[in-house]
Amino acid sequence: MEIIRVSNLHKSFDDIEVLTDINLTIESGSVTTIIGPSGSGKSTLLRCLNQLENVTSGSILYNDEDITSNQTNLNELRSKIGMVFQSFNLFSNLTVLDNCIIGQEKVLHRSKHESIDNALNFLKQVGMYDFKDRKVTTLSGGQKQRVAIARTLSMNPDIILFDEPTSSLDPEMVNDVLEVMKNIISKDYTFVVVTHEMEFARDVSDRVIFMERGRIVNDGTPSEIWNINSNERLKRFLNI
Amino acid sequence: MFILSGSIPKDFFGGIWFIIQNNYPLYLEGAKYTLMISIAGTTLGLFLALLITIFRIQESDSRDNFGTRAYKRISVIMSASYVEFFRGTPMMVQAAIFFYGFAMIGIRIPILIAGIIIVTLNTAAYLTEVLRAGINSIDKGQMEAARSIGLTRGQSFRYIIFPQAIKNMVPAIGNELVVNIKDTAVLSVIGVSELFYMGKSIAGTYYRYTEAFVTVAIIYLILVLITTRILTLIVKWINIPNKITFPTSQSNPVEVN
Repeated sequence: MEIIRVSNLHKSFDDIEVLTDINLTIESGSVTTIIGPSGSGKSTLLRCLNQLENVTSGSILYNDEDITSNQTNLNELRSKIGMVFQSFNLFSNLTVLDNCIIGQEKVLHRSKHESIDNALNFLKQVGMYDFKDRKVTTLSGGQKQRVAIARTLSMNPDIILFDEPTSSLDPEMVNDVLEVMKNIISKDYTFVVVTHEMEFARDVSDRVIFMERGRIVNDGTPSEIWNINSNERLKRFLNI
Repeated sequence: MFILSGSIPKDFFGGIWFIIQNNYPLYLEGAKYTLMISIAGTTLGLFLALLITIFRIQESDSRDNFGTRAYKRISVIMSASYVEFFRGTPMMVQAAIFFYGFAMIGIRIPILIAGIIIVTLNTAAYLTEVLRAGINSIDKGQMEAARSIGLTRGQSFRYIIFPQAIKNMVPAIGNELVVNIKDTAVLSVIGVSELFYMGKSIAGTYYRYTEAFVTVAIIYLILVLITTRILTLIVKWINIPNKITFPTSQSNPVEVN
């Protein structure tokens, strides 16, 4: 079942077109990774999916509803499409646990008790249970990103967008976070991951999208992408 | 208290001593009004600034319809004009316009109230800029993350951005209080009996201007020094690591409630 359908999407910042005619469907429960050189529009495409960026033209259907329309309740939409950021963006005035419950209480209107239960469950899953009362400013990068994943999971979203989740981590913490991501992959969530971790992309993806200069250049299963012979550019990018 | 019956000594320090001994109730009365007006004005000004800031930071977005866009635009223009006007004109002139303006249309505002209102309006203008700068200083990622979990813009400000911003703003707000303690002196133009006004009348009584005003300066200095010490303590207290971290849950979630 398809959960997202992007059609003829264009996005410009002032005069510079950063996304050109993007067409893409994403299956529910799948893992899609978007790879490509810096500046190819990967993150912008991801940010269009939860409408942190407005599109210039084209449509994005989420469960058959066009979310680029003015009628869409963005707050409700975003509670179902979680995002994990490159720079973590944990709420620095709150504790680890409070980071994971504020959205549940204020957006989903869950009771405090239910929110805490749910949050602790996910904090356990990412291995951050023992840090629940810590201020987030005292955590390391890898720990922050694990909490950020728990915060996103606590909203029980349908889709989780990862925007280069390991790019600002120390090398030894990258694997920590990738392991956590692998652990949470299940049919309950649809994953869209922008990453430079090629091995991870090859191992976990159902589908890999290669972007360059604002366009989707290749789109296929990991084995198709890695065995591709026709595209010199892609081969150079993947170093094969 | 034998000096009371004698005449004022000719020398400078003797004059100051004589003036203090004979007029300290007036100076204290003046200091009381100075403190009252500046503390009330700064506090009310902060609340007014919070309100104005809400209008000042409206940002239109391509999804807004015409009405919303117009409303936001007008909010920004009005609040920015307010700030420009009050920052761009002397408080003494504002006080005169305000007080005599109302008197002209037949409304007599009690002088003390008029003084507090003027300081409030003025402080609000300065603190609006402080609040706006404080909010702008918070990493954009905080707002994005807040919006990404579905919080509204208002909720994001209230629960995430503002609590972080206010911490950085405490020194600037304290500074505004110190400035107000000194600047209330200009309210003597409309006859508020604050410290400077009292100094003026005491000076007139003895024709000893320097001595009377040096005494006034010393009292201002004492007030400001005490205030800055208290503010330093407050800022230190705020910056104690993890002070704001109160446990939000027990270790065992089942025990909650």
